[in-house]
Amino acid sequence: MSKKNRVIVRIAGAAGDGIASTGELLGKTCSRMGLHVLAYNSFQSAIRGGHVWLQMAIGPERQLDHCEQPELVLLFNKTSPAVHVPDVKSGGVVFYNSGVIKKEEIEAIRPDVSYYGLDFKAMVDEAGLTGVNSVMINVMLAGALIEALKLDKSVPLDFIKHKFTKKGEQVVELNNSVFKLGADWTAKNVKEKFPELKGDGKPKLFMTGNEAFGLGLTAGGLKLYSAYPMSPATGILHYLATIAQSEKIVIKQVEDELAAMNYVVGAGQAGVRAATATASGGYCLMVEAVGLASMMEVPAVCIVVSRGGPSTGVPTKQEQSDIDLCIAGNGDSPRFVIAPKDPEDAFYQAARALNIAEKYQVPVLVLSDFFLSEHFTTIDDLDFSKIEIDRGKFSTEWKGPGRYKRYEYTEDGISHRVRPGAESAMYTPCSDEHNEFGHVMSDVEAGLPHARQERIKMHAKRMQKMKTMVTTGDAQPPSFEGDKNAEFTFMTWGSTYNYAKSAIEYLADEGIKVNHVHFTDVYPIPREKTLAILKQCKRIISVEANMCNSLCTQVLAQTGFEVTEHINRWDGEPFTGEYIVEAFKQLAQTKQLVNA
Amino acid sequence: MTTETKAVLDAKDFKGEVHPDWCPGCGDFGVLNCVQRALAELGLYQHQVAVISGIGCSSNLPGFINTYGMHTLHGRSLPNAQGFKLAHHDMTVIAVGGDGDGYGIGVGHLVHALRRNIDMTYIVMNNSIYGLTTGQTSPTSGEGMKTKSTPFGNPEMPLNPLTLALGSSASFVARAFSGNPKQAVEIYKAAIQHKGFALVDTFSPCVTFNKVNTAQFYRDNTYDLNAEGHDTTDLLKAMEVASRDTYASGRIATGIFYQNPRSCYEESEKETLAIPICDHPLGLSSAQAEKLKAGFR
Repeated sequence: MSKKNRVIVRIAGAAGDGIASTGELLGKTCSRMGLHVLAYNSFQSAIRGGHVWLQMAIGPERQLDHCEQPELVLLFNKTSPAVHVPDVKSGGVVFYNSGVIKKEEIEAIRPDVSYYGLDFKAMVDEAGLTGVNSVMINVMLAGALIEALKLDKSVPLDFIKHKFTKKGEQVVELNNSVFKLGADWTAKNVKEKFPELKGDGKPKLFMTGNEAFGLGLTAGGLKLYSAYPMSPATGILHYLATIAQSEKIVIKQVEDELAAMNYVVGAGQAGVRAATATASGGYCLMVEAVGLASMMEVPAVCIVVSRGGPSTGVPTKQEQSDIDLCIAGNGDSPRFVIAPKDPEDAFYQAARALNIAEKYQVPVLVLSDFFLSEHFTTIDDLDFSKIEIDRGKFSTEWKGPGRYKRYEYTEDGISHRVRPGAESAMYTPCSDEHNEFGHVMSDVEAGLPHARQERIKMHAKRMQKMKTMVTTGDAQPPSFEGDKNAEFTFMTWGSTYNYAKSAIEYLADEGIKVNHVHFTDVYPIPREKTLAILKQCKRIISVEANMCNSLCTQVLAQTGFEVTEHINRWDGEPFTGEYIVEAFKQLAQTKQLVNA
Repeated sequence: MTTETKAVLDAKDFKGEVHPDWCPGCGDFGVLNCVQRALAELGLYQHQVAVISGIGCSSNLPGFINTYGMHTLHGRSLPNAQGFKLAHHDMTVIAVGGDGDGYGIGVGHLVHALRRNIDMTYIVMNNSIYGLTTGQTSPTSGEGMKTKSTPFGNPEMPLNPLTLALGSSASFVARAFSGNPKQAVEIYKAAIQHKGFALVDTFSPCVTFNKVNTAQFYRDNTYDLNAEGHDTTDLLKAMEVASRDTYASGRIATGIFYQNPRSCYEESEKETLAIPICDHPLGLSSAQAEKLKAGFR
């Protein structure tokens, strides 16, 4: 159970207070000790100011959920107490910066938690430290936090050393001293005990979903990545830029999303594995070029990081409402849409996307969301040896027989792709309808009988690939977990997987059995295999971070199966297990909806 | 079609299987011929070249030439061509299209391609009219020009592609005229040989929809700038000529306006592009994987 010996920590303050770096310090400390963490970063679209907080679940097991109520809280600024003290679990502990937060005011909020104010200035003065900056309160509070949780202090001290070495020995020493002031003060003054956090001693990988996407693309043979910055997708660009030189990948920030996707198509046509990523609104600008990849049968990968819409919408918040967007485009347009569930899955699915793109010569959309892309989590390990490169029907030379036909009619709809530059295979793919050689059929020939026949055959050839994805088993049905006889089923997709799993654990504690159907491949959905799974469920409740049930819409459209009970959230915050449990109970109580 | 085995090709070896569907007398025929001649005279083979276009009458050109190519979306020839070039930089990449494609819907890509300076050529067949959509005003239509969308005269001023390019850190800026093939072939050859992004604005008259900027108009109003001893390394001079000798002046300069041998984009990625990335082995060694993972512990 992920809840066993778990501690929930929240760190809050203004953007620029060092919330993220304190969180990183804590997260890395835990992950190096072999503990598992999951951290949700609730930030706003502001660089300085604004109110931000980070909530982290820490425990010996893999964490599924950042949870509702923190037990240990660090508050940095004046606006923090009113926002966060009400959320603290009864009996919890609040550390605060008493230089800016008044003792009487914070303690008046509620009596059932313990308060510990650290007066940064008084403490550093008393210790005789000179040259300290008031922003170093975050290091002091980090010391307090690490001590309160009885974590191994050598790890954060090591981390501080690594982080500040280039600023000089003196800076490292000063940070160490400030850290120890916070830790020593806590050891002396804080009585509350938390569950013992004991890791397995095997350092974990600590990363965001965006970093996992970048790593997965790299493992999968990415050679060109073009992108235009847009939250919450930019982290992929940032990570890849740091490894571009060592891994010999061309990373190009271009002028807009139109260019980003068209670069990918051009590079894909030239024979490299290329990808881009963007957020919902940026993807709107890419739709035309995705259709171009479908028409020219060029492999292309785009990671679409969903956020609330329509339009600019809710930039740095959670929402899962873009399945329809990924499928959309003018005309019937073959493609593949994958929705990974967490950073570990993101790694493998990014590499898989590059394979599917080449095997079927289609665009592949990897549908992420704010939470999946931006939250930190630990991963035991990533197995790079599982990544195989499958380029499908592809060669760098053409030896015949006969004149090369780029779009030759085949049973599976996939034609042999020769890389440009090969002698004797010249061809020009076009965005217009074309014949097997790639010659345009839509200008002077359009409407003539032979052109009509060619249109029917070529369009069917392209769309045949959607069927082939199903018959080969590349398009996978949802996973099924749990007791087949459970009265209820949660149906989820993408990053909602772990919250639902967490909720299922809570409900199991209460004796309520819920099993779990989870979709990773959302387009195409293999109809027969999916129906076989859904039909064995007794009462299916979809859980989606959106208003209009986009997975249910697709399941209905692609299989004919209708799911009529839903749990939704679209206020911008990600689900928690507790939130789903609460919504489930309300749904069960109201009985406004009947069994399917 | 098979590659010729002969050592040196001539223009007709670059003739495509599909016959151009342009109107008889269209300037684009001249451009196609000049590109084919330039490629042959540079000693290139068909499989070493990619001609990449957007959408429009002139963007059909890649279908009529026997090389590799792409016929992409309206306004998107440049990002496709740049992606292609970075992926396979030992090929010669030529983007082609019209003034609507390049100076209208695609102008955002043009200015960035100019400053980015990837080693490729961009030939804009400029006829100051939208031909494929049957005759509307274009970004280079003159003020007052009557078209289907401006029956009372174009109220907007035309864009000057050459000053736009010169102001966008272009490294090669030229203008040709399809009715002067001798000069056009030389300009195209110089553009292809230039190590960087080369823009060649090419007057290519539309015989059907533009009765103002006709072949005769260009024959009567153009002159060869390079024959007058123009210094192609002088940016300010190029700016001056490009600003002064326009439609309105009745004396329009053609030739190479400006050439700057500044290093092209590929040189900033020398190690990655030591061999074309399309020839790189795919996948990571276990040592590489361990090194990347170590960054997350």
